[in-house]
Amino acid sequence: MAERGEGMKWIVNNRMNAIYLIIAAFLLLLPFVYESRNMLILLTQIFVFAILAMSYDLLLGFTGIVSFGHAMFFGIGAYSIGIFMKRFEPTMLHFIYAVLATILITAIVSFIVGLLTLRLKSHFYAMLTMALAGLFLVLAEKWRTLTFGNDGFTFRVPEIFIDRTNFYIICLVTMIAVFMILKRFTNSPLGRVLQAIRENEQRTESLGYQVLHYKIAASVVSGVLAGIAGIFYAMSLRYVNTSVFTMDITLDALLMTIIGGVGTLVGAIIGAGLIEFAHDGLTELAKEHWIFERWIIFFGIIYILVVIFFPLGIVGTLRKFTWKRRKLESAKKKENLAG
Amino acid sequence: MELLFNLTLNGLATGMLIFLLAAGLTLIFGLMDVLNFAHGGLFAWGAYSGIWIYTTTGSFLFGIIGAILTGFLLGIITEKWIIKPVYGNHVQQILITLGLMLVLSEMLKVIWGPNQLTANPPEYLRGSWEIGDMIIIKYRVFIIVVGLLVFAGVQFLLKNTKIGLVVRAGVMNKEMVQALGINIKKVFMFVFMIGSGMAALGGVLFGPYSGVIHAGMGMEFAILAFIVVVIGGMGNFTGSVMAAILVGLSGSFMAYFVPELSLAVNMLLMAVVLIVKPQGLFGGKG
Repeated sequence: MAERGEGMKWIVNNRMNAIYLIIAAFLLLLPFVYESRNMLILLTQIFVFAILAMSYDLLLGFTGIVSFGHAMFFGIGAYSIGIFMKRFEPTMLHFIYAVLATILITAIVSFIVGLLTLRLKSHFYAMLTMALAGLFLVLAEKWRTLTFGNDGFTFRVPEIFIDRTNFYIICLVTMIAVFMILKRFTNSPLGRVLQAIRENEQRTESLGYQVLHYKIAASVVSGVLAGIAGIFYAMSLRYVNTSVFTMDITLDALLMTIIGGVGTLVGAIIGAGLIEFAHDGLTELAKEHWIFERWIIFFGIIYILVVIFFPLGIVGTLRKFTWKRRKLESAKKKENLAG
Repeated sequence: MELLFNLTLNGLATGMLIFLLAAGLTLIFGLMDVLNFAHGGLFAWGAYSGIWIYTTTGSFLFGIIGAILTGFLLGIITEKWIIKPVYGNHVQQILITLGLMLVLSEMLKVIWGPNQLTANPPEYLRGSWEIGDMIIIKYRVFIIVVGLLVFAGVQFLLKNTKIGLVVRAGVMNKEMVQALGINIKKVFMFVFMIGSGMAALGGVLFGPYSGVIHAGMGMEFAILAFIVVVIGGMGNFTGSVMAAILVGLSGSFMAYFVPELSLAVNMLLMAVVLIVKPQGLFGGKG
């Protein structure tokens, strides 16, 4: 009896966690109940982009750093797995090598970029990442012996990833793992300092924190996670070309994070879902009217409006409302007590 | 000798185009502390509208004027409705201008279609002069001359007019200018307008220079312009012209001798400047 009471208490106290748990279980069971190949592929895509958007959120939402070259890390991951799988046998061992290579390269690149620009104004990081991503794009186009240029190349994946359902579950589990890691990370003392930097950099520095070190840490973690998203993206297509380095990928991450809600992590996942679903739906609509081929224009306009009017995004705005309601309620209670 | 001369001329012409873009960026940044990521979009809009007017009316001059007016108009709209609501918030500013960039380049595809447009220089700028064994392409000289004229004009505006004085004072200390009873908001709009007009002019000049224009070119040139702004020093107008020529020349020489490395060299230059002298090669104070 007592135990059940405890359980109830946990659910009441952690209502959000319970909801996440239910959604995760639902998504986990979905492929066994509802058999639609297209749906499965779309959801896999959403999970992959959710990882990318969450890594972006760590920078933008939790540390207040704007990166315009996130595609660079994504592309490094995609090309690492592609090259390893193409050059060597597609075995689990080589998959692990590719993951390690991705982690190493993205960590080094994000470290250098951070070291160069994070001590300066926020514009510099945005500019340097944008320019570097352009450089990687050119590199991928020109280094034909390794990347096969613009056309890209197809490759085989280890056996375990071949089955769509398996791959779906692996992506889902990875996304949940990344979500939990980042949740823990942002609530850790280090994460708290990052949020302090976002709120007021000078004050954080005066409190004796080495702001640069913390920002570089955020940059590295974010870069590595974006690289991992790239690995899964390339594996879902079993194909990689230079498009992984283009501005479009960065813009996708940006739109997902901003529309979903910055600094919330869940917002990034919701944003990824929204954008990918909308993209899918609008591509269908493009057959009806050509304007929907330029679907990105709608997102651009929505994005500008969101930045001006709802800088907190969907999740942030919802949270603000619940906070306000709770405040009102508690104020009323106090009044009642006083009266 | 001839080769060197031609590469230099080519580099200077490209440098001037980059300068037209970077000058606006750096002025806007210096005065308003806004890094306009949509500047490349204004460049592309200048190119499309200018070339469109040029091909429909047949007059290149009308094309140039039309492009500049488009730039002015877009600049005013951008400043008023996009930048103004988020003054003072850096992160929001960066985000919103990038969103605008997205909308601007997609709008181009909506209006003029997703394919690239072709553009040729007008009759009187076609062909080349031959001096001895050297061949000088007319249009390149034309770009260099226009670039220098714009540079001289803006320099005159900044140094010898009342509004230039206000702008220079504003770069140094905005609050003080405001305290002296000058409406700095109006000056902001003016500078934004001029900057956008220069970018649009750069765009329309670029059209016949490369022969084709496409919606993605704004982004490509914007990256070069950012490199120039960093090398020249953010907010430093004379620095931006030197840096633009430097980047243009290094681009043209590298593209001939080691084409793979042409962007890499500029990037490397920017990285070095960021490490050694983040206030820019030609910046005096930090």
